[in-house]
Amino acid sequence: MSKFSFRYVIDALLQGITFLFSSISFLTLGAILVFVFNQGWSLVNIDLIRYPYESTTILGAPLEDQNEFCLCEPNITLDPEVFYSNKWGVGFSQGQDLLGQATVQLAYIHPNSPISSLTNKGIEGNEFVLLPEYLIQKISYNDRSTSLARRGVERMINELESSNSIYEIEVITKGGGIGGSIITTLWLIGLTLIIAIPIGVGAALYLNEYAKHSQFANAIRSFIETLTGVPSIIFGLLGVAIFIPLTVATTNATGGNLISGALTLSVILLPIVIRTTEESLKVVPMDYRNASLALGASRTQTTFKVVIPNALPGILAAVLLGIGRIVGESAALIFAIGSIVRDEITLTDKSTSLAVHIYSMMTDEPANIELSSTIAIIILAIVLVLNLLIKFISSKIMKGKLGGVI
Amino acid sequence: MTIKTNVTKKWIDQLVEKILFFMALLSASFIVMVVIVIIERGLSPFFSDNDGLGQVNLLRFLTGIVYLDGPTFASNAYGIGYLIISTLYIALLSLLIAMPISIFSALFIAKIAPKPLGNTLRTVTEILAAIPSIVYGLFGAGVILDLVYNLSLIVGVQSSAGFSVLSTVIVLAIMIIPTMTVIAEVAIRAVQKELIHGSLALGATPTQTNFKVVLASAKSGIFTAAILGVGRALGEATAVSLVAGSRRSGISFALFETTATLTSTMLQGMKETVGLDYTIRFSIGLVLMVIILLVNFILNFVKSKVGRVHV
Repeated sequence: MSKFSFRYVIDALLQGITFLFSSISFLTLGAILVFVFNQGWSLVNIDLIRYPYESTTILGAPLEDQNEFCLCEPNITLDPEVFYSNKWGVGFSQGQDLLGQATVQLAYIHPNSPISSLTNKGIEGNEFVLLPEYLIQKISYNDRSTSLARRGVERMINELESSNSIYEIEVITKGGGIGGSIITTLWLIGLTLIIAIPIGVGAALYLNEYAKHSQFANAIRSFIETLTGVPSIIFGLLGVAIFIPLTVATTNATGGNLISGALTLSVILLPIVIRTTEESLKVVPMDYRNASLALGASRTQTTFKVVIPNALPGILAAVLLGIGRIVGESAALIFAIGSIVRDEITLTDKSTSLAVHIYSMMTDEPANIELSSTIAIIILAIVLVLNLLIKFISSKIMKGKLGGVI
Repeated sequence: MTIKTNVTKKWIDQLVEKILFFMALLSASFIVMVVIVIIERGLSPFFSDNDGLGQVNLLRFLTGIVYLDGPTFASNAYGIGYLIISTLYIALLSLLIAMPISIFSALFIAKIAPKPLGNTLRTVTEILAAIPSIVYGLFGAGVILDLVYNLSLIVGVQSSAGFSVLSTVIVLAIMIIPTMTVIAEVAIRAVQKELIHGSLALGATPTQTNFKVVLASAKSGIFTAAILGVGRALGEATAVSLVAGSRRSGISFALFETTATLTSTMLQGMKETVGLDYTIRFSIGLVLMVIILLVNFILNFVKSKVGRVHV
């Protein structure tokens, strides 16, 4: 009897260990989510798309005919944290740029303010208007020492108020946007799917419908299967050696470009597309094909009008899996496109997908964890939605509820 | 009239079959292309003059412990022996951590957990397996580096801001655990009911059955999981390069020392796209492919020896 209870203790212990180990999955997912949301959530806003990645610095000087002070009250109610100078008619607030650094932001500018429009010292004779989204870097005066943004907004407004003559104002337009990388990612998804889905579905059709058990089909199948074991960085090398020279020769590209990236991704996607499609072709009942052929339809008609419509959920699952892979791929794209973040996206030039954008910022000095986490939130959201969709579709396939025509 | 349409139909059928055949052939040809490209480009530094830098010495390349690149050196002295050892060492350590965790959690999900909990855990694992490696790299750089750095302070060992063997191993283990759990879980669920019932009928407790019968019968599938896990650990590039610390020379076995792997070295200094500094990446890629093939071969051999079930 005592041996029996000892057994019971050991059993409970072993079960406890399995429970502990499996809770590690929960903990990791939790830790990753907490980390990226903690670091990146504050930067999630529409400005990410509105602003370019590169910020530009503009040096502005007061216009020559503007010598009077404003001495005006704001015509709207300002937030309590906005510091207002009624001599110059401007209000500053503590801001945060898209990289997460503390800055002084221009919060309000009165229409009669003497510095509402300035001369751009970079371009001769050009005027520019101070916009409330600009960040003030520093203001230098003719009659006192310069005030710098990093010394805080309160000090800057006091120094501005005590001065009677501004020499120049250095502002930077907001940067750190990820619009360019989003566009590149969308282009990559579109181009890659256009290349990989027809070829992959075609190959799967040939393997499953035309040459099911032939030795040749098995050889091809094992060749394609081997591709899944190749690390993505090796596909990057393939892109460098074959697809970049190919695109350089046929387009006006000079180095890595979006098209060569899409071609490289297509090769990575092919085994996934072929396998998923073949699985869904296998569950299309043989009777459907026989019935179609018996009614006098040709083989081509049977394949395209009976088999494919019934395998559509599987093909859709392949598309979703593919999108997930494209969004997450980094190593291959670093080789095949490059890791230079761009705002203007052209098909024949370098740019970054969202994942490579993270890599690019994390390898910069200093690493930008905040904005990287924001991008990671976007990637995680995409991955989560795709995953749930795939689960939904595959449960439909399992239950035999194919969304086909028959 | 009907005869004519039949002829066109046949003609179309044949054309479609040819097109589909071509697509299948094209898909299969890419692996051949990969192999040819990697071998041809990867071997060229050892045989060409490399624009005056001279041939790279193959033996020194494979056994050297200093990796000199960049315009400062502009030499042909690349040694990746230490990278080969570090890569294998790191993959082995992460497999050692990931193996028990993924096997036991797979067992828990498939056999022990109540159904709702098991299903939730399965979904969580599948989501983790789908998270791109760059996110794991970011998590490693933002969290694991700090943890490891603080740990090194507690232990009293010097650590370069957390960039270390330990961080790399932890990030890789976290990355491959979900992949391995998913596959091991499928293998465990596929164990025949008769075996389990037989064991229970003989008086074994459910836990005894789970550990001695179910795991033993699923051995082959568990090995498949390990092979995939190791493959992913060996081939991972971006996540590793964010936490490894890009070591340029010397083998590092100590957990808190910086390290580098074949893949993280390939990703370094991608500014130039010509010259030996670039071509040598293909040679490293070739070595990586050979290592992955060898490791797969060895593990498959072990699997064929151990995976046979005698129940």
